[in-house]
Amino acid sequence: MIKKIGLLLLIGSLTTSCVAVKEYEKVYLNDPDMLLSAKKSNKFVTSFQVYREAASGANGGKSGGGCGCN
Amino acid sequence: MAENQVVVVVVINRRLKMKIIIIVVVLFISLVGFSQTTNKEYKKRVLETAEVDILSSFYSQDGDNASVTGGIGTEKLTDLATNFTVSIPLNDDDVFTVDATISAYTSASSSNLNPFDANGSGLVYYENGENDHDKSSNKNGNPIAATSGASSAVLSNNTLVSGGASPWYESTGASKSDVWVNGTFNYSHSSDNRNTILNADASFAKEFDYTSIGIGGGLTKLFNEKNTEIGLKANVYLDTWNPRYPTEIHSYLTANQNLNNGFFSGVDILNQSGNIIDKNGTNVWSPINTTLVDNNARNTYSLSVSFSQILSKKTQVSLFFDLVQQDGWLANPMQRVYFADRDNYYIGNASNIPNYTSPTNTNVFQLADDIERLPNSRLKLPIGIRFNQYINEAVTLRTYFRYYYDDWGVKSSTAEIELPIKISDKFTFYPSYRYYTQTAADYFAPFEQHLSTEEFYTSDYDLSKFNSNQVGVGLSYTDIFAKSHIWKLGLKSIDLKYNSYKRNTGLKAGIISAGLKFVMD
Repeated sequence: MIKKIGLLLLIGSLTTSCVAVKEYEKVYLNDPDMLLSAKKSNKFVTSFQVYREAASGANGGKSGGGCGCN
Repeated sequence: MAENQVVVVVVINRRLKMKIIIIVVVLFISLVGFSQTTNKEYKKRVLETAEVDILSSFYSQDGDNASVTGGIGTEKLTDLATNFTVSIPLNDDDVFTVDATISAYTSASSSNLNPFDANGSGLVYYENGENDHDKSSNKNGNPIAATSGASSAVLSNNTLVSGGASPWYESTGASKSDVWVNGTFNYSHSSDNRNTILNADASFAKEFDYTSIGIGGGLTKLFNEKNTEIGLKANVYLDTWNPRYPTEIHSYLTANQNLNNGFFSGVDILNQSGNIIDKNGTNVWSPINTTLVDNNARNTYSLSVSFSQILSKKTQVSLFFDLVQQDGWLANPMQRVYFADRDNYYIGNASNIPNYTSPTNTNVFQLADDIERLPNSRLKLPIGIRFNQYINEAVTLRTYFRYYYDDWGVKSSTAEIELPIKISDKFTFYPSYRYYTQTAADYFAPFEQHLSTEEFYTSDYDLSKFNSNQVGVGLSYTDIFAKSHIWKLGLKSIDLKYNSYKRNTGLKAGIISAGLKFVMD
Protein backbone atom coordinates (compact mmCIF):
# COMPACT_ATOMS: atom_id res chain seq x y z
CA MET A 1 0.00 0.00 0.00
CA ILE A 2 2.77 2.42 0.99
CA LYS A 3 4.43 1.86 -2.40
CA LYS A 4 1.21 2.68 -4.24
CA ILE A 5 0.60 5.79 -2.16
CA GLY A 6 4.21 6.83 -2.72
CA LEU A 7 3.82 6.30 -6.44
CA LEU A 8 0.72 8.51 -6.53
CA LEU A 9 2.49 11.25 -4.58
CA LEU A 10 5.52 10.96 -6.87
CA ILE A 11 3.36 11.32 -9.96
CA GLY A 12 1.69 14.34 -8.39
CA SER A 13 4.95 16.05 -7.49
CA LEU A 14 6.66 15.28 -10.80
CA THR A 15 3.82 16.75 -12.77
CA THR A 16 3.77 20.00 -10.79
CA SER A 17 4.40 22.97 -13.03
CA CYS A 18 6.86 25.73 -12.10
CA VAL A 19 5.19 28.41 -14.22
CA ALA A 20 1.95 29.82 -12.88
CA VAL A 21 -0.97 30.11 -15.28
CA LYS A 22 -2.47 33.61 -15.12
CA GLU A 23 -6.15 34.20 -14.44
CA TYR A 24 -6.80 35.37 -18.01
CA GLU A 25 -5.17 32.18 -19.31
CA LYS A 26 -7.56 29.89 -17.48
CA VAL A 27 -10.36 29.84 -20.02
CA TYR A 28 -9.86 26.13 -20.76
CA LEU A 29 -9.35 25.25 -17.10
CA ASN A 30 -12.60 27.00 -16.20
CA ASP A 31 -14.57 24.76 -18.55
CA PRO A 32 -17.21 22.92 -16.44
CA ASP A 33 -15.88 19.59 -17.70
CA MET A 34 -12.45 20.37 -16.20
CA LEU A 35 -13.89 20.39 -12.67
CA LEU A 36 -11.50 18.63 -10.28
CA SER A 37 -14.14 16.84 -8.25
CA ALA A 38 -17.00 14.44 -8.78
CA LYS A 39 -19.86 16.08 -10.66
CA LYS A 40 -23.08 16.97 -8.90
CA SER A 41 -25.02 14.98 -11.48
CA ASN A 42 -23.11 11.86 -10.35
CA LYS A 43 -24.32 12.17 -6.75
CA PHE A 44 -26.63 9.15 -6.83
CA VAL A 45 -24.21 7.07 -8.88
CA THR A 46 -21.59 7.62 -6.19
CA SER A 47 -24.18 6.78 -3.52
CA PHE A 48 -24.97 3.35 -4.98
CA GLN A 49 -21.27 2.61 -5.43
CA VAL A 50 -20.71 3.38 -1.73
CA TYR A 51 -23.56 0.98 -0.87
CA ARG A 52 -22.45 -1.83 -3.16
CA GLU A 53 -18.68 -1.64 -2.65
CA ALA A 54 -16.47 -1.83 0.42
CA ALA A 55 -14.32 1.12 -0.61
CA SER A 56 -15.35 4.75 -0.49
CA GLY A 57 -13.91 8.23 -0.16
CA ALA A 58 -10.96 10.12 -1.64
CA ASN A 59 -13.08 11.73 -4.33
CA GLY A 60 -13.63 15.13 -2.80
CA GLY A 61 -17.03 14.13 -1.41
CA LYS A 62 -18.55 12.74 1.77
CA SER A 63 -16.40 10.18 3.60
CA GLY A 64 -18.64 8.68 6.23
CA GLY A 65 -21.92 8.56 8.04
CA GLY A 66 -25.12 6.85 7.01
CA CYS A 67 -26.07 3.22 7.03
CA GLY A 68 -25.55 1.76 3.57
CA CYS A 69 -27.80 -1.08 4.60
CA ASN A 70 -29.72 -1.94 1.45
CA MET B 1 2.37 -8.76 23.54
CA ALA B 2 -1.01 -8.97 21.82
CA GLU B 3 -2.62 -7.08 24.71
CA ASN B 4 -0.01 -4.34 24.39
CA GLN B 5 -0.74 -4.05 20.67
CA VAL B 6 -4.47 -3.74 21.37
CA VAL B 7 -3.80 -1.03 23.94
CA VAL B 8 -1.60 0.86 21.46
CA VAL B 9 -4.28 0.65 18.73
CA VAL B 10 -6.97 1.86 21.14
CA VAL B 11 -4.79 4.78 22.24
CA ILE B 12 -4.03 5.69 18.60
CA ASN B 13 -7.71 5.54 17.69
CA ARG B 14 -8.63 7.77 20.63
CA ARG B 15 -5.94 10.28 19.69
CA LEU B 16 -7.09 10.24 16.06
CA LYS B 17 -10.70 10.85 17.03
CA MET B 18 -9.70 13.65 19.43
CA LYS B 19 -7.62 15.29 16.72
CA ILE B 20 -10.48 15.18 14.23
CA ILE B 21 -12.90 16.64 16.80
CA ILE B 22 -10.41 19.40 17.66
CA ILE B 23 -9.95 20.22 13.97
CA VAL B 24 -13.73 20.50 13.50
CA VAL B 25 -14.01 22.84 16.50
CA VAL B 26 -11.06 25.00 15.36
CA LEU B 27 -12.48 25.28 11.85
CA PHE B 28 -15.83 26.39 13.27
CA ILE B 29 -14.22 29.04 15.47
CA SER B 30 -12.11 30.26 12.55
CA LEU B 31 -15.21 30.53 10.38
CA VAL B 32 -17.01 32.68 12.95
CA GLY B 33 -13.98 34.95 13.28
CA PHE B 34 -13.51 35.27 9.54
CA SER B 35 -17.14 36.05 8.83
CA GLN B 36 -16.94 39.13 11.09
CA THR B 37 -14.25 40.87 9.05
CA THR B 38 -15.33 43.69 6.75
CA ASN B 39 -13.90 45.10 3.56
CA LYS B 40 -15.19 48.01 1.50
CA GLU B 41 -13.08 47.31 -1.60
CA TYR B 42 -14.81 46.13 -4.76
CA LYS B 43 -14.72 42.42 -5.17
CA LYS B 44 -16.48 39.92 -7.35
CA ARG B 45 -19.21 38.03 -5.54
CA VAL B 46 -18.39 34.41 -4.82
CA LEU B 47 -21.84 33.50 -6.08
CA GLU B 48 -23.61 36.07 -8.24
CA THR B 49 -27.13 34.83 -7.72
CA ALA B 50 -29.02 32.02 -6.02
CA GLU B 51 -28.81 28.63 -7.71
CA VAL B 52 -31.21 25.70 -7.53
CA ASP B 53 -30.25 22.16 -8.52
CA ILE B 54 -32.81 19.37 -8.82
CA LEU B 55 -31.56 15.85 -9.38
CA SER B 56 -33.66 12.70 -9.63
CA SER B 57 -32.62 9.12 -10.19
CA PHE B 58 -34.09 5.67 -10.54
CA TYR B 59 -31.88 2.75 -9.51
CA SER B 60 -32.59 -0.92 -10.05
CA GLN B 61 -30.52 -4.01 -9.23
CA ASP B 62 -30.83 -7.77 -9.12
CA GLY B 63 -28.56 -10.61 -8.09
CA ASP B 64 -28.44 -13.92 -6.22
CA ASN B 65 -26.45 -13.11 -3.07
CA ALA B 66 -28.78 -11.32 -0.69
CA SER B 67 -27.06 -10.51 2.59
CA VAL B 68 -30.27 -10.49 4.68
CA THR B 69 -30.70 -14.18 3.82
CA GLY B 70 -27.09 -15.15 4.45
CA GLY B 71 -25.50 -14.69 1.03
CA ILE B 72 -28.08 -16.42 -1.15
CA GLY B 73 -31.41 -15.17 -2.42
CA THR B 74 -32.79 -12.38 -4.50
CA GLU B 75 -31.09 -9.00 -4.33
CA LYS B 76 -33.84 -7.27 -6.29
CA LEU B 77 -34.03 -3.64 -5.26
CA THR B 78 -35.37 -0.41 -6.70
CA ASP B 79 -34.77 3.08 -5.43
CA LEU B 80 -36.28 6.39 -6.48
CA ALA B 81 -34.42 9.42 -5.18
CA THR B 82 -34.64 13.18 -5.54
CA ASN B 83 -32.24 15.82 -4.35
CA PHE B 84 -32.71 19.57 -4.07
CA THR B 85 -29.78 21.88 -3.56
CA VAL B 86 -30.27 25.59 -3.04
CA SER B 87 -27.25 27.88 -2.82
CA ILE B 88 -27.91 31.41 -1.60
CA PRO B 89 -25.33 34.23 -1.65
CA LEU B 90 -25.67 36.04 1.68
CA ASN B 91 -23.24 38.78 0.65
CA ASP B 92 -20.16 39.11 -1.52
CA ASP B 93 -18.23 36.53 0.51
CA ASP B 94 -20.67 34.14 2.11
CA VAL B 95 -22.82 31.39 0.66
CA PHE B 96 -25.43 29.31 2.47
CA THR B 97 -26.34 25.98 0.89
CA VAL B 98 -29.20 23.67 1.77
CA ASP B 99 -29.08 20.16 0.37
CA ALA B 100 -32.09 17.87 0.87
CA THR B 101 -32.59 14.33 -0.41
CA ILE B 102 -35.49 11.93 -0.19
CA SER B 103 -35.04 8.37 -1.31
CA ALA B 104 -37.70 5.64 -1.40
CA TYR B 105 -36.68 2.04 -1.94
CA THR B 106 -38.24 -1.38 -2.20
CA SER B 107 -35.94 -4.29 -1.46
CA ALA B 108 -36.62 -8.01 -1.77
CA SER B 109 -33.61 -8.74 0.39
CA SER B 110 -34.69 -6.41 3.19
CA SER B 111 -38.24 -7.72 2.93
CA ASN B 112 -36.93 -11.10 4.03
CA LEU B 113 -36.03 -9.73 7.41
CA ASN B 114 -39.40 -11.35 8.01
CA PRO B 115 -39.83 -13.85 5.18
CA PHE B 116 -42.92 -15.28 6.83
CA ASP B 117 -45.11 -12.24 6.20
CA ALA B 118 -48.23 -11.80 8.28
CA ASN B 119 -49.07 -15.46 8.05
CA GLY B 120 -46.77 -16.58 10.82
CA SER B 121 -44.94 -19.31 8.97
CA GLY B 122 -45.76 -17.71 5.66
CA LEU B 123 -47.10 -20.92 4.24
CA VAL B 124 -50.56 -21.03 2.79
CA TYR B 125 -52.65 -24.06 1.93
CA TYR B 126 -55.52 -24.18 -0.45
CA GLU B 127 -58.07 -26.91 -0.52
CA ASN B 128 -58.32 -26.75 -4.28
CA GLY B 129 -54.75 -26.20 -5.28
CA GLU B 130 -54.85 -22.56 -6.38
CA ASN B 131 -51.47 -21.03 -6.92
CA ASP B 132 -50.96 -17.54 -5.62
CA HIS B 133 -48.16 -16.34 -3.41
CA ASP B 134 -50.02 -13.44 -1.93
CA LYS B 135 -53.15 -15.22 -0.90
CA SER B 136 -53.74 -15.76 2.76
CA SER B 137 -57.25 -17.06 2.35
CA ASN B 138 -58.81 -19.98 0.57
CA LYS B 139 -60.98 -19.88 -2.52
CA ASN B 140 -63.94 -18.82 -0.44
CA GLY B 141 -61.99 -16.03 1.13
CA ASN B 142 -61.59 -17.73 4.49
CA PRO B 143 -58.20 -17.24 6.15
CA ILE B 144 -56.14 -20.35 6.46
CA ALA B 145 -54.07 -20.94 9.55
CA ALA B 146 -50.33 -20.84 9.20
CA THR B 147 -48.67 -24.19 9.14
CA SER B 148 -45.61 -25.73 7.68
CA GLY B 149 -44.87 -27.75 4.63
CA ALA B 150 -44.21 -30.99 6.41
CA SER B 151 -47.69 -30.85 7.81
CA SER B 152 -49.17 -31.26 4.36
CA ALA B 153 -48.94 -34.97 4.86
CA VAL B 154 -51.14 -34.60 7.90
CA LEU B 155 -53.54 -32.19 6.24
CA SER B 156 -54.71 -34.81 3.81
CA ASN B 157 -57.47 -32.60 2.39
CA ASN B 158 -55.15 -29.70 1.70
CA THR B 159 -52.56 -29.30 -0.98
CA LEU B 160 -49.55 -27.07 -0.46
CA VAL B 161 -49.24 -24.86 -3.50
CA SER B 162 -47.14 -21.94 -2.46
CA GLY B 163 -45.31 -20.47 0.42
CA GLY B 164 -43.46 -17.20 0.07
CA ALA B 165 -41.00 -17.98 2.84
CA SER B 166 -37.93 -18.32 0.67
CA PRO B 167 -34.74 -16.33 0.14
CA TRP B 168 -35.72 -16.24 -3.51
CA TYR B 169 -39.09 -14.70 -2.96
CA GLU B 170 -39.92 -11.15 -1.92
CA SER B 171 -41.87 -10.98 1.29
CA THR B 172 -44.66 -8.48 1.91
CA GLY B 173 -43.40 -7.52 5.36
CA ALA B 174 -42.90 -3.98 6.64
CA SER B 175 -39.18 -4.04 5.87
CA LYS B 176 -39.96 -4.41 2.16
CA SER B 177 -39.72 -0.66 1.66
CA ASP B 178 -38.52 2.44 3.40
CA VAL B 179 -37.87 6.12 2.93
CA TRP B 180 -34.52 7.72 3.64
CA VAL B 181 -34.36 11.48 4.16
CA ASN B 182 -31.28 13.62 4.45
CA GLY B 183 -30.61 17.30 5.00
CA THR B 184 -27.27 19.08 4.91
CA PHE B 185 -26.65 22.74 5.68
CA ASN B 186 -23.42 24.34 4.61
CA TYR B 187 -22.05 27.81 5.24
CA SER B 188 -18.95 29.01 3.44
CA HIS B 189 -16.92 32.17 3.72
CA SER B 190 -14.28 33.37 1.29
CA SER B 191 -11.58 35.88 2.17
CA ASP B 192 -11.35 39.20 0.31
CA ASN B 193 -8.56 37.98 -1.94
CA ARG B 194 -10.42 34.67 -2.40
CA ASN B 195 -7.35 32.74 -1.38
CA THR B 196 -8.91 31.36 1.79
CA ILE B 197 -12.24 29.57 2.04
CA LEU B 198 -13.73 28.35 5.27
CA ASN B 199 -16.83 26.26 5.50
CA ALA B 200 -18.91 24.50 8.11
CA ASP B 201 -21.67 21.98 7.65
CA ALA B 202 -24.24 20.07 9.64
CA SER B 203 -26.24 17.11 8.41
CA PHE B 204 -29.08 14.85 9.45
CA ALA B 205 -30.27 11.58 7.92
CA LYS B 206 -33.03 9.23 8.97
CA GLU B 207 -34.44 5.89 7.91
CA PHE B 208 -36.55 3.42 9.85
CA ASP B 209 -33.67 1.66 11.61
CA TYR B 210 -30.94 4.28 11.43
CA THR B 211 -30.30 7.93 12.31
CA SER B 212 -27.23 9.95 11.43
CA ILE B 213 -26.14 13.36 12.71
CA GLY B 214 -23.05 14.96 11.25
CA ILE B 215 -20.98 18.07 11.77
CA GLY B 216 -17.91 19.21 9.92
CA GLY B 217 -15.66 22.00 8.83
CA GLY B 218 -13.16 22.71 6.11
CA LEU B 219 -10.37 25.10 5.19
CA THR B 220 -9.12 25.68 1.65
CA LYS B 221 -6.05 27.77 0.83
CA LEU B 222 -5.04 28.88 -2.66
CA PHE B 223 -1.46 29.84 -3.56
CA ASN B 224 0.71 30.60 -6.54
CA GLU B 225 -1.80 32.85 -8.33
CA LYS B 226 -4.51 30.33 -7.56
CA ASN B 227 -2.58 27.60 -9.38
CA THR B 228 -2.20 25.55 -6.22
CA GLU B 229 -4.94 24.62 -3.79
CA ILE B 230 -4.73 22.76 -0.51
CA GLY B 231 -7.85 21.70 1.34
CA LEU B 232 -8.40 20.27 4.78
CA LYS B 233 -11.76 18.91 5.87
CA ALA B 234 -12.88 17.17 9.05
CA ASN B 235 -16.21 15.55 9.77
CA VAL B 236 -17.79 13.70 12.67
CA TYR B 237 -20.91 11.57 12.19
CA LEU B 238 -22.74 10.33 15.26
CA ASP B 239 -25.06 7.58 14.06
CA THR B 240 -27.57 5.49 15.99
CA TRP B 241 -29.11 2.13 15.21
CA ASN B 242 -32.72 1.37 15.92
CA PRO B 243 -31.92 -2.29 15.25
CA ARG B 244 -34.23 -4.70 13.49
CA TYR B 245 -33.44 -8.41 13.53
CA PRO B 246 -34.28 -11.49 11.48
CA THR B 247 -37.75 -12.42 12.63
CA GLU B 248 -36.94 -15.96 13.80
CA ILE B 249 -34.10 -14.74 16.05
CA HIS B 250 -36.10 -11.87 17.47
CA SER B 251 -39.14 -14.11 17.94
CA TYR B 252 -37.05 -16.80 19.64
CA LEU B 253 -35.82 -14.28 22.21
CA THR B 254 -39.23 -12.71 22.79
CA ALA B 255 -40.73 -16.22 23.20
CA ASN B 256 -38.27 -16.80 26.06
CA GLN B 257 -36.29 -19.24 23.90
CA ASN B 258 -39.24 -21.64 23.91
CA LEU B 259 -40.13 -23.08 20.50
CA ASN B 260 -43.65 -23.81 21.72
CA ASN B 261 -44.32 -20.14 22.45
CA GLY B 262 -45.21 -17.04 20.47
CA PHE B 263 -44.29 -17.04 16.80
CA PHE B 264 -43.23 -20.68 16.87
CA SER B 265 -46.42 -21.94 18.51
CA GLY B 266 -48.09 -24.40 16.13
CA VAL B 267 -45.38 -24.04 13.52
CA ASP B 268 -43.44 -27.14 12.54
CA ILE B 269 -39.67 -26.95 12.29
CA LEU B 270 -37.96 -29.35 9.89
CA ASN B 271 -34.48 -30.83 10.01
CA GLN B 272 -32.19 -31.31 7.00
CA SER B 273 -33.99 -34.56 6.13
CA GLY B 274 -37.31 -32.75 6.04
CA ASN B 275 -38.64 -34.42 9.17
CA ILE B 276 -40.52 -32.47 11.82
CA ILE B 277 -38.37 -32.11 14.91
CA ASP B 278 -39.50 -32.65 18.47
CA LYS B 279 -39.40 -29.12 19.85
CA ASN B 280 -38.97 -30.51 23.35
CA GLY B 281 -36.07 -32.74 22.31
CA THR B 282 -32.36 -32.10 22.44
CA ASN B 283 -31.72 -31.58 18.72
CA VAL B 284 -33.62 -28.36 18.16
CA TRP B 285 -32.90 -25.12 16.40
CA SER B 286 -31.58 -22.15 18.36
CA PRO B 287 -29.50 -19.13 17.36
CA ILE B 288 -25.90 -19.31 18.53
CA ASN B 289 -26.10 -15.98 20.38
CA THR B 290 -28.81 -14.58 22.58
CA THR B 291 -27.08 -11.20 22.82
CA LEU B 292 -27.83 -8.97 19.86
CA VAL B 293 -26.84 -5.33 19.35
CA ASP B 294 -25.42 -4.16 22.67
CA ASN B 295 -24.22 -0.78 21.43
CA ASN B 296 -26.56 1.26 19.26
CA ALA B 297 -23.91 3.84 18.35
CA ARG B 298 -21.90 3.91 15.15
CA ASN B 299 -19.57 6.88 14.90
CA THR B 300 -17.42 8.01 12.01
CA TYR B 301 -14.50 10.44 12.23
CA SER B 302 -13.03 11.53 8.93
CA LEU B 303 -10.16 13.77 7.95
CA SER B 304 -9.70 14.68 4.28
CA VAL B 305 -6.74 16.40 2.69
CA SER B 306 -6.76 17.53 -0.92
CA PHE B 307 -4.08 19.06 -3.14
CA SER B 308 -4.84 20.54 -6.55
CA GLN B 309 -2.34 21.87 -9.04
CA ILE B 310 -2.68 23.56 -12.41
CA LEU B 311 -0.01 22.03 -14.63
CA SER B 312 -0.61 24.03 -17.81
CA LYS B 313 -3.31 26.10 -19.50
CA LYS B 314 -5.08 22.86 -20.35
CA THR B 315 -4.07 20.42 -17.63
CA GLN B 316 -4.79 20.10 -13.94
CA VAL B 317 -4.51 17.42 -11.31
CA SER B 318 -5.85 16.74 -7.81
CA LEU B 319 -4.78 14.39 -5.06
CA PHE B 320 -7.19 13.32 -2.33
CA PHE B 321 -6.37 11.53 0.88
CA ASP B 322 -8.93 10.50 3.51
CA LEU B 323 -8.39 9.02 6.92
CA VAL B 324 -11.60 7.54 8.30
CA GLN B 325 -12.04 5.92 11.69
CA GLN B 326 -15.32 4.18 12.53
CA ASP B 327 -16.37 2.66 15.79
CA GLY B 328 -19.49 1.23 17.36
CA TRP B 329 -21.85 -1.40 15.90
CA LEU B 330 -20.43 -1.71 12.38
CA ALA B 331 -22.31 -4.89 11.44
CA ASN B 332 -25.82 -4.81 10.03
CA PRO B 333 -28.19 -6.56 12.48
CA MET B 334 -30.58 -7.43 9.63
CA GLN B 335 -28.10 -9.76 7.96
CA ARG B 336 -28.21 -13.51 8.66
CA VAL B 337 -25.29 -15.92 8.89
CA TYR B 338 -25.43 -19.72 8.57
CA PHE B 339 -22.64 -21.92 9.93
CA ALA B 340 -21.26 -25.02 8.26
CA ASP B 341 -20.74 -26.82 11.56
CA ARG B 342 -24.28 -26.45 12.89
CA ASP B 343 -27.34 -28.46 11.97
CA ASN B 344 -29.79 -26.84 9.60
CA TYR B 345 -33.44 -26.27 10.42
CA TYR B 346 -36.25 -25.02 8.21
CA ILE B 347 -39.82 -23.83 8.12
CA GLY B 348 -41.76 -24.63 5.00
CA ASN B 349 -42.02 -27.27 2.32
CA ALA B 350 -39.74 -30.23 3.07
CA SER B 351 -39.53 -31.26 -0.57
CA ASN B 352 -37.70 -28.02 -1.44
CA ILE B 353 -34.94 -28.39 1.15
CA PRO B 354 -32.58 -30.10 -1.34
CA ASN B 355 -33.16 -27.12 -3.69
CA TYR B 356 -32.72 -24.52 -0.98
CA THR B 357 -29.97 -22.57 -2.75
CA SER B 358 -31.79 -22.68 -6.10
CA PRO B 359 -34.15 -19.93 -7.27
CA THR B 360 -36.69 -22.72 -7.86
CA ASN B 361 -37.17 -22.84 -4.09
CA THR B 362 -40.23 -20.76 -3.38
CA ASN B 363 -41.49 -22.11 -0.09
CA VAL B 364 -38.92 -23.21 2.42
CA PHE B 365 -36.77 -20.99 4.63
CA GLN B 366 -33.72 -21.89 6.69
CA LEU B 367 -33.62 -20.55 10.24
CA ALA B 368 -30.57 -18.36 10.90
CA ASP B 369 -27.68 -19.32 13.15
CA ASP B 370 -26.87 -15.71 13.97
CA ILE B 371 -26.76 -12.15 12.73
CA GLU B 372 -23.49 -11.00 11.19
CA ARG B 373 -20.80 -9.97 13.66
CA LEU B 374 -18.00 -7.57 12.79
CA PRO B 375 -15.31 -5.74 14.77
CA ASN B 376 -16.36 -2.54 16.51
CA SER B 377 -13.59 -0.55 14.87
CA ARG B 378 -12.56 0.08 11.27
CA LEU B 379 -9.83 2.29 9.82
CA LYS B 380 -10.16 3.28 6.16
CA LEU B 381 -7.41 4.86 4.09
CA PRO B 382 -8.39 5.84 0.55
CA ILE B 383 -6.12 7.91 -1.70
CA GLY B 384 -7.23 9.21 -5.05
CA ILE B 385 -5.91 11.19 -7.98
CA ARG B 386 -7.88 13.05 -10.60
CA PHE B 387 -6.25 14.19 -13.83
CA ASN B 388 -8.10 16.37 -16.33
CA GLN B 389 -6.87 17.37 -19.78
CA TYR B 390 -8.57 19.83 -22.11
CA ILE B 391 -7.70 18.19 -25.44
CA ASN B 392 -9.41 20.61 -27.80
CA GLU B 393 -12.61 22.61 -28.15
CA ALA B 394 -14.59 19.43 -28.68
CA VAL B 395 -13.05 16.89 -26.34
CA THR B 396 -11.97 16.87 -22.69
CA LEU B 397 -10.36 13.95 -20.87
CA ARG B 398 -11.37 13.27 -17.26
CA THR B 399 -9.63 10.48 -15.37
CA TYR B 400 -9.70 9.23 -11.79
CA PHE B 401 -7.84 6.55 -9.90
CA ARG B 402 -8.24 5.49 -6.28
CA TYR B 403 -6.44 3.01 -4.09
CA TYR B 404 -8.19 1.97 -0.89
CA TYR B 405 -7.02 0.07 2.16
CA ASP B 406 -8.78 -0.77 5.41
CA ASP B 407 -7.89 -2.82 8.48
CA TRP B 408 -10.66 -5.36 7.76
CA GLY B 409 -8.51 -6.73 4.94
CA VAL B 410 -10.16 -4.93 2.04
CA LYS B 411 -7.89 -3.47 -0.62
CA SER B 412 -9.38 -2.01 -3.73
CA SER B 413 -8.51 -0.10 -6.87
CA THR B 414 -10.82 2.08 -8.92
CA ALA B 415 -10.09 3.47 -12.38
CA GLU B 416 -12.47 5.77 -14.18
CA ILE B 417 -12.38 7.64 -17.46
CA GLU B 418 -14.86 10.08 -18.94
CA LEU B 419 -14.58 11.74 -22.31
CA PRO B 420 -16.94 14.72 -22.60
CA ILE B 421 -17.53 15.51 -26.28
CA LYS B 422 -19.10 18.83 -27.21
CA ILE B 423 -21.40 18.12 -30.11
CA SER B 424 -22.65 21.71 -30.37
CA ASP B 425 -22.38 24.90 -28.37
CA LYS B 426 -25.20 23.70 -26.12
CA PHE B 427 -24.99 19.91 -26.11
CA THR B 428 -22.28 17.67 -24.68
CA PHE B 429 -22.14 13.88 -24.88
CA TYR B 430 -20.61 12.00 -21.92
CA PRO B 431 -19.35 8.44 -22.48
CA SER B 432 -17.65 6.94 -19.42
CA TYR B 433 -16.16 3.70 -18.14
CA ARG B 434 -15.25 2.61 -14.61
CA TYR B 435 -13.43 -0.49 -13.43
CA TYR B 436 -13.43 -1.50 -9.77
CA THR B 437 -11.82 -4.41 -7.96
CA GLN B 438 -11.58 -5.35 -4.29
CA THR B 439 -10.28 -8.14 -2.10
CA ALA B 440 -12.57 -9.80 0.43
CA ALA B 441 -12.81 -8.63 4.02
CA ASP B 442 -11.15 -11.02 6.48
CA TYR B 443 -14.56 -11.83 7.92
CA PHE B 444 -16.39 -12.75 4.73
CA ALA B 445 -17.41 -16.25 3.71
CA PRO B 446 -20.30 -17.40 1.49
CA PHE B 447 -23.50 -19.10 2.63
CA GLU B 448 -22.89 -22.03 5.03
CA GLN B 449 -19.10 -21.66 4.96
CA HIS B 450 -18.46 -19.87 8.23
CA LEU B 451 -17.64 -21.83 11.37
CA SER B 452 -19.33 -21.13 14.68
CA THR B 453 -15.91 -20.92 16.33
CA GLU B 454 -15.12 -17.68 14.46
CA GLU B 455 -15.37 -14.40 16.36
CA PHE B 456 -16.45 -12.28 13.39
CA TYR B 457 -18.45 -13.33 10.35
CA THR B 458 -20.51 -11.94 7.49
CA SER B 459 -21.92 -13.28 4.22
CA ASP B 460 -22.49 -9.81 2.79
CA TYR B 461 -21.20 -9.96 -0.79
CA ASP B 462 -20.47 -6.24 -0.71
CA LEU B 463 -17.50 -7.35 1.43
CA SER B 464 -16.53 -10.26 -0.85
CA LYS B 465 -13.82 -10.40 -3.46
CA PHE B 466 -15.17 -9.10 -6.75
CA ASN B 467 -14.62 -6.78 -9.65
CA SER B 468 -17.12 -4.67 -11.50
CA ASN B 469 -17.47 -2.83 -14.79
CA GLN B 470 -19.58 0.25 -15.21
CA VAL B 471 -20.43 1.84 -18.55
CA GLY B 472 -22.20 5.17 -18.75
CA VAL B 473 -23.60 7.57 -21.28
CA GLY B 474 -24.91 11.04 -20.70
CA LEU B 475 -26.16 14.09 -22.51
CA SER B 476 -26.19 17.62 -21.19
CA TYR B 477 -27.79 20.79 -22.44
CA THR B 478 -26.30 24.08 -21.29
CA ASP B 479 -27.62 27.58 -21.82
CA ILE B 480 -25.18 29.97 -20.20
CA PHE B 481 -27.68 32.82 -20.62
CA ALA B 482 -30.50 30.85 -18.94
CA LYS B 483 -33.11 32.19 -21.35
CA SER B 484 -35.82 29.63 -20.57
CA HIS B 485 -37.71 30.46 -17.39
CA ILE B 486 -39.90 28.83 -14.80
CA TRP B 487 -41.19 31.55 -12.49
CA LYS B 488 -38.06 33.58 -11.56
CA LEU B 489 -35.71 30.70 -12.25
CA GLY B 490 -33.70 30.64 -15.44
CA LEU B 491 -32.82 27.18 -16.76
CA LYS B 492 -29.07 26.90 -17.01
CA SER B 493 -28.54 23.22 -17.75
CA ILE B 494 -30.16 19.80 -18.11
CA ASP B 495 -28.23 16.57 -17.50
CA LEU B 496 -29.38 13.08 -18.44
CA LYS B 497 -27.29 10.03 -17.57
CA TYR B 498 -27.53 6.28 -17.63
CA ASN B 499 -25.04 3.87 -16.07
CA SER B 500 -24.97 0.09 -16.34
CA TYR B 501 -23.10 -1.77 -13.59
CA LYS B 502 -22.10 -5.46 -13.61
CA ARG B 503 -20.29 -7.35 -10.89
CA ASN B 504 -18.61 -10.70 -11.52
CA THR B 505 -20.61 -12.10 -8.58
CA GLY B 506 -23.70 -11.79 -10.79
CA LEU B 507 -25.11 -8.53 -9.45
CA LYS B 508 -26.43 -6.27 -12.20
CA ALA B 509 -27.60 -2.72 -11.70
CA GLY B 510 -28.72 0.25 -13.72
CA ILE B 511 -29.24 3.87 -12.75
CA ILE B 512 -30.82 6.64 -14.74
CA SER B 513 -30.64 10.20 -13.51
CA ALA B 514 -31.88 13.59 -14.63
CA GLY B 515 -30.67 16.91 -13.31
CA LEU B 516 -31.85 20.49 -13.77
CA LYS B 517 -29.90 23.57 -12.80
CA PHE B 518 -31.59 26.94 -12.38
CA VAL B 519 -30.29 30.39 -11.58
CA MET B 520 -32.41 33.02 -9.88
CA ASP B 521 -33.05 36.23 -11.85
